[in-house]
Amino acid sequence: MLDISDLVTAYGKIDALKGVSLQVETGKITCLLGPNGAGKTTLMMTIAGLLHPRRGSIRLAGTELVGLSPARIVGHGIALVPENRLVFPQMSVRENLLAGAYQRNDKSGIDADLQQMYARFPRLNERNEQLAGTLSGGEQQMLAVARALMSRPRVLLMDEPSLGLAPLIVAEIFNIVRELNRDGTTIFLVEQNAHMALQVAHRFLLMEQGRITFKGMPGQLAEDEVIQRAYLGTRRAAG
Amino acid sequence: MIDLIQNTVDGVMIGSSYGLLALGFTLIFGVMRRLDLAYGPSIMIGGYFGTLLYLHYGAGPFAVAIAVVIGAVIAGIYVERLCFAPMKAGAAIASMVSSFAIWMQLEQAAILVLPRHTYPFPPLATAAPLEFGPFLVRVDHLIMLACALALAAAVHIALYRTRFGLALRAIIGNPVAAHLVGINVRTAVLLAFAGASAVGGAAGFLVLAVDQQVTPMFGMWATLKGLIAMMIGGLGSVPGAVVGGLLLGIVEANSQWYFGPQIRDLVAYVVLFAFLVVRPQGLLGSAPEPAMPPKA
Amino acid sequence: MDDYLIGVLSNIGVISFVALSAYLLLLTGEISFGQQGFFAIGAYAAGIATALWGWSLTTALVWGAAVSGSAALLVGVPTLRLHGLYFAIATLAFAEMVRILFELFRYQISIDGELIGPNGTDGFRNIRYIFDHNIDAFQFLLLIYSLLAATMLAFMLLERSRLGVIFRMIGQDETLAELQGIPVARYRVLAAGIAGMLAGIGGGLYAHLTTYVEPRIFDIMLGVHSLAYGLIGGLGTALGPLLGVLIDIGLLESIRALAGYRMIIFGGLVAMLLIVRPRGLLDEVVVHKIGRGWRRVALWVRRSGLKPRANNARATGGPP
Repeated sequence: MLDISDLVTAYGKIDALKGVSLQVETGKITCLLGPNGAGKTTLMMTIAGLLHPRRGSIRLAGTELVGLSPARIVGHGIALVPENRLVFPQMSVRENLLAGAYQRNDKSGIDADLQQMYARFPRLNERNEQLAGTLSGGEQQMLAVARALMSRPRVLLMDEPSLGLAPLIVAEIFNIVRELNRDGTTIFLVEQNAHMALQVAHRFLLMEQGRITFKGMPGQLAEDEVIQRAYLGTRRAAG
Repeated sequence: MIDLIQNTVDGVMIGSSYGLLALGFTLIFGVMRRLDLAYGPSIMIGGYFGTLLYLHYGAGPFAVAIAVVIGAVIAGIYVERLCFAPMKAGAAIASMVSSFAIWMQLEQAAILVLPRHTYPFPPLATAAPLEFGPFLVRVDHLIMLACALALAAAVHIALYRTRFGLALRAIIGNPVAAHLVGINVRTAVLLAFAGASAVGGAAGFLVLAVDQQVTPMFGMWATLKGLIAMMIGGLGSVPGAVVGGLLLGIVEANSQWYFGPQIRDLVAYVVLFAFLVVRPQGLLGSAPEPAMPPKA
Repeated sequence: MDDYLIGVLSNIGVISFVALSAYLLLLTGEISFGQQGFFAIGAYAAGIATALWGWSLTTALVWGAAVSGSAALLVGVPTLRLHGLYFAIATLAFAEMVRILFELFRYQISIDGELIGPNGTDGFRNIRYIFDHNIDAFQFLLLIYSLLAATMLAFMLLERSRLGVIFRMIGQDETLAELQGIPVARYRVLAAGIAGMLAGIGGGLYAHLTTYVEPRIFDIMLGVHSLAYGLIGGLGTALGPLLGVLIDIGLLESIRALAGYRMIIFGGLVAMLLIVRPRGLLDEVVVHKIGRGWRRVALWVRRSGLKPRANNARATGGPP
């Protein structure tokens, strides 16, 4: 579904992504793990069009996304649930969700999806008219996910959904990820929480210092090695 | 007591225009997080379009109003394209200084085309003032108030009941997230600028028609009034802009009556300074910290 | 040097003080639209000192700087909690209050049968010190530039000193600076005071240069201009604001023929410059590169044997 090849994104003279290539398979959950500063968020922002890569290509079902504006990329079917949620704080839960459907004009379809979101995320239903800025971290995360879903994306990108959340909420979030995927959504997930991520992933990748250093399935690497590399990075010296 | 009420009534009238000026200002600030110092001067350009139409074709107030709005929008788009659109995220001060440079450019351009110190504007109404007991209310003031309130309501509806309004509020709320939900932020910002300039243009027309003249100093005057009203009412707040404008108008009208024009201006600044020191978010504003990048 | 050139150079020198004043605040991360207020206070204070109280020029200038510096400290304290746009507008409000207060300020003394002193909107005439003491235009120019040179020297020292680093740290990230144990409030007020003093010195010089000041001069235009000079010339060095003043006053004086179009051209040029150089001509990147280039030259000079060496073998260029 999503085919990234040789992607290079730089901040000034520093390459944050040093030639990243990976595939996200349709209908599956692909997880990208890696330590802080590895470039995971940079990758997400590049796919979403917020950053422009120096080189490389990002193809969504064959269509080239590099060079398109973020709005066009959303139009092609990518939705990003960003790191730190980024809800619209002065707008109500309902308005946040409607904003997620900004590019759609099928009113009945939007209303139906809205009801579906309330069913899937009951807490959002309760707080329907509340200002998003007053929600708790976990509720904002759910709102951000629901908002992204409102555009009926072909690929859902999630950047560290467990960040700053209590373990119970994190478990809830990952349940939702599993559910969404069961209902057919392709998910590309970036995480620091290797343990939870490995439980839902069909495939996972490791990113260290701007490069993909491992591609495979959960179980191919011992979990503690994965966690070590995800949090600390590979030790270059012998061993 | 009678004077106080009369002044307050007059103050509300002119204050409604201040509110409109502040409204345009606050829309631009909310969406760009930057201060447009060329805001007043763009409206002044609109005023000059209007006076040209009036002088050469004897056009009536309605046609002149449209000319003013069109002129303000054209100037506003010019400013947006040159001073705001090409600037990167961290260049907030550069944008402001750039808008200042264009302020001077617009002022001099206006003086070159129409070199006299003052030019006439058609009046809003020529009927005699209405009397309500001991109080006098000018008909043109009433028209100004009515138009200003109608426009403020229109802006409110546009912001809260239209798709475009949703996009603007999303950009005001979180620009990055606005990109992520598929809003074309650059286009929306340009349109917001145009809209804000139109609102400013309408405000400008009302003031100029009541004053029955336009001068090249109008640009700075409009910027200052809009700025003060916006800060008092609350940066980034739409109802705050209106309230701030009304309050400024009332304070000014009374100060001028009891103490004269210089004290009037002084009091406006004292009130502004006091608000900033004690309650920077103004009457109805939200965050005391501006979303504008605070560092140079 | 002809009188016209002396006049232009004097103007450049005096305005540079206000530009440097705004620049100093920019270093600590704050935008000020109000330095013209302290310029005004310095001008009036120094003018009153020489014209009404008969003080010497030096004392008057010190007095002007002291009054404006104190005023800056007084304003700096209540505005401590303000940042960014809020701070900028507070400074603008303050400067406008100062201007209007001078419009209302009357303080006249009869000297030799003539009324001398500030007279509200009519301004303050007859600040004739340099004429009464036979200081010619060129000498005054030298005074302006020696003071300016001293100020520039102070800025250069500041850039290299701990205080300079602290200022820049506060400018980059105030919270971070606070966490490092820096009493940010104290330094911000200090910067405000110094900046006020600088503007006040400029004001005192201005008053004596032109012999006449009126409140109208100290308006928002002057304030935003002062800020703009730094933005145009560059924020990487104290030479930046000077460059900005030079470009504005110097270049534009020399295209007198285009007088009517001056602002149209200049405004457009500034806007376009800021698109490509949002931090001015001599921005931090350029200054850094110049610094590196300079060090390379210095290193090359030393290595190429232009300085006498004790060991001949070394001079043939082998590794040290």
